[in-house]
Amino acid sequence: MELYGYKCKKCGHLHYPYRMVCKNCCKNEHNEFDPVPLPRKGKLLTFTILHNPPSDYEVVTLGLGIVELDNGIRVTGQLRIPNPKIGMKVRGEIDVVHAAEYDKQYGMVFFKA
Amino acid sequence: MRNVYVVGIGITSFTRLEYPLAEIAAYPAMMAMKDSGISKIDHLYVANMGAGRINQQTGLASAVIDTLSLTPAGATAIENGPASGASAIIQGFQAVASGMHDVVMVTGAERMREVNNLEATDFVATLTHPLAEYIYGVTLPSLAGMFTRLIMEKHGVTSRHLAMVAVKNHANAMHNFFAHLHQPITIEAILDSPEASTNNPFVAEPLRFFDMCPVSDGGACLILASEDVAKKINRPKIRLAGLGQATDTHAVQERKDPTELLAVRGAAAKAFEMAQIKPSQVNVAELHDAFTILEIVESEEVGFFKKGEGHKALERGDTSLTGKLPINPSGGLKAKGHPVGATGIGQAHEIVTQLRGEAEKRQVKNAKIGFTCNFGGFGNNVCCLVFKRED
Amino acid sequence: MAVDLEKILRPVDTIVPPFEPKYMQLASGDFMVVRQASREEIPDILQYVEPLIHVERDFYDIVAVRVYAELLAYYRYRVQDEYVLVAQIDGELAAIVNGRFVNKDVGMSFHTLALRRGLRVGAHAFAAKMEYHMDIVGQKEVLIVAESPIGFRRWMIEYKLEKRFEIPHELGGCPSWSLTKDLFNNARDTLIVGRRPVPKDMLEKAYAGILKPSDPPKPPPDLMAATRALNDPTGTANMQQRWQNKRRG
Repeated sequence: MELYGYKCKKCGHLHYPYRMVCKNCCKNEHNEFDPVPLPRKGKLLTFTILHNPPSDYEVVTLGLGIVELDNGIRVTGQLRIPNPKIGMKVRGEIDVVHAAEYDKQYGMVFFKA
Repeated sequence: MRNVYVVGIGITSFTRLEYPLAEIAAYPAMMAMKDSGISKIDHLYVANMGAGRINQQTGLASAVIDTLSLTPAGATAIENGPASGASAIIQGFQAVASGMHDVVMVTGAERMREVNNLEATDFVATLTHPLAEYIYGVTLPSLAGMFTRLIMEKHGVTSRHLAMVAVKNHANAMHNFFAHLHQPITIEAILDSPEASTNNPFVAEPLRFFDMCPVSDGGACLILASEDVAKKINRPKIRLAGLGQATDTHAVQERKDPTELLAVRGAAAKAFEMAQIKPSQVNVAELHDAFTILEIVESEEVGFFKKGEGHKALERGDTSLTGKLPINPSGGLKAKGHPVGATGIGQAHEIVTQLRGEAEKRQVKNAKIGFTCNFGGFGNNVCCLVFKRED
Repeated sequence: MAVDLEKILRPVDTIVPPFEPKYMQLASGDFMVVRQASREEIPDILQYVEPLIHVERDFYDIVAVRVYAELLAYYRYRVQDEYVLVAQIDGELAAIVNGRFVNKDVGMSFHTLALRRGLRVGAHAFAAKMEYHMDIVGQKEVLIVAESPIGFRRWMIEYKLEKRFEIPHELGGCPSWSLTKDLFNNARDTLIVGRRPVPKDMLEKAYAGILKPSDPPKPPPDLMAATRALNDPTGTANMQQRWQNKRRG
C-alpha cells in the first residue's frame, strides 16, 4: 500500500492531498493528475499529544504530527514515537489509523528513523 | 454601494439552553426587533453549523422564519464552520448595500449541548480535511496544539502567556451577564500550584484545559438597515464600515508557513481598506480565541502588534479592559462561550454594545471604532468586520 | 426487646484507619479541604443532596438519589463498613464521595457527587477516595462502575481499569471494573493530589460545619433569563417552563 501524491499532467507540480485543479498552473483539465507514491522518510515539523482523542479512538493519548517528507510534501500522520522533538528524522509506514465499526482506514504512521 | 447600519441587536445567555434550536435562533431576533422597534424585515439570514448533524434539523432558516411569523419574507441558512456568524453578516450587508433590501435580520444559533461532549468534539472535527487529517483522529484542539508548539519555538510564547489570556478573559466575563463562565481563575492555581496538573490537565500538548473554550449553546442577532431606515430609529448610529473575507488551504499541513495565519491577515487587510482606517485606529476588538494562542497570534496578524510581539503586548497589559487596545472585553470565546454558528454575531453584538456605550462595567472608554475577527476551520476561512460609531 | 432487635439489625463495622484530611488549590485560587464526615453530620449533608434529585440532566438525578440512599443507610446503621468523605470550599459543601470496604482487600467505590461545577472538584474528590482505599487502608483493589459516559472515559479508559465483569457491583448489579494496586501505583502522579497537613484555620472552618453550597446544580430555571431581563415580549419559552414546573408541583 502506498500514500500517493498527485502530479499535474500539465506543469508537473506535485500535490498532497488531492485537489481537482492544479494549485500551480490552474490549467489542467480537472482530475488530470498522475498518482506518484510519496517517499517514506522525512523530518518532524510539529507535533502534539492529544489527550482527548475522538470517540472511536479508545486510547489514552494519540500522537499526531506534521512531517515534511524528503521531497518537500507535508503529511499529517499519527506518531508512534515516545518522545518526539521538532526537527527529528522520522520514517513512515502505512498502517491502520482508524478502526471504525465496519471498516479500517489506512494512513501514514511515523516512527523514529 | 449604500451605507449599512446596525439598528438592533439581541443575544441569549451562552450556556446550556434546553430549547429547540429554532427557538434559540428566534429569541435574540425578537430582542433585536424590540431593540430597534422594527417588526417587518425583507430577508432573514441564519448562521449555524450543526443543525443538520447534531440537531436533526435541516433548512434551519425556514424553521426560524416561520417560528417568528415573518413569512413570506425570504430566508437563507449559512454554514461556514465557526465563521458562519460573520459570513452571514457579510451576506446581510451585501443585500442592503446593493439596494436589494432595506432591512435584513442576521441571526446565529447553535445548540451543541444536545449531544454529549465527545460527540460535540467529533462534530467540530469534521471541519478537517477528510483524507489528510480526519482519518488520523485529528481534532481542532490537536491542530491548535501543533500550531502552538511552533509559535512557542519561534516567538518565545510560553504557557504562562496562554494562561494570562485565559485569566484576563475570565475576569472580563465576570462583568458580562450573558457569558458562559462566571468563574475567576488565577495563574497560580492553573500553572504553579501542586494541583495544577489536575486543575489544568493537558488536552493537546502544549495546550491545556484552560486554553480551550467551553462547549456552549447560544444565539445572537443583528438587524442591518439602510441609512433611511436607521435615521428614523432613535438609537446610536453604528455603521458596518468594513468587511473582509479570505481563505487558505484546507489541510493545515499545506499552509505556506505553518506559523502564519494568512487568511486572517488577508481578511483584516480587506476590512481595514474598505473602512479606510489603519489597525492603530481601532479602540476595541473581539478576536476569535477558541484557543488562547489564537488571541495572541490574531492580534499580530490583523496588524495590532508586530509579528512575534503579541505576547509582549499581553504582558504590558495593553489588551486588558483598561489597556490601550482592549481585546475580548466580553470574555472572548474562552469565557463568554462558543456556540459555533452564533459566535461571529455574538462578537458583533459585543462591539455594537461597546460602541453604543451600553457595556456598563466592561465598557471601554470612548470606543468609536470596533473590530471583530471570526476564524473558520483552523484558519482556512476568516471574516473580519469593522464597525464605526457615527454620531 | 427493641434493643436486642436493633443489635441484630445493625451490622458491626470493621475498624479501619480514618481518612486524614488533605487540601488542594482549585483553578479559581480557592482552597478545598477533603475530610471524612461523621454520622452526626449526615443530616446536614442530606439536605443539600435532596434538591439534586430533581435535576434531570448529567445523571444528577440518579446519582443524587443513590447517594441519598447510601448516606441515609450509613446514618441509620443499616450498611456495613461505609465511609463518607466531603470536600469543602470555605466550609461550603463542594463534593461528596463514598464507598465501602467489602473485605480486607477489596473496596467498593460508590459515588462521586460534585456540587460545584467547572473546577474539576469531582476529579480531586475521586482521587482522595482512591488514596483512602489504597494507601491509607491498604487494600488491593477497588471495584468501580460509572453511570455517565464522561465518567467512563475518564476513569475506565484513562486509568486502564481491569474488567471484573464476573463481580456485580453493589450499585446495581452492573459489571465492575477494578483499580488494582499496580494500576494505582502507576498512576500515582495523577491520582494522588493534595497536600497534608491542612492549615489550622482551614481545618477548623471545615470542621465547624458543612455549609450550604453557593452555586449547586439546579433544575433549569428560566434559561433565557438574560434576554428576558431586557423585557420579554412573547414568553413562549417561559410558558413552557412554567407548565413544566407546574406539573412537577
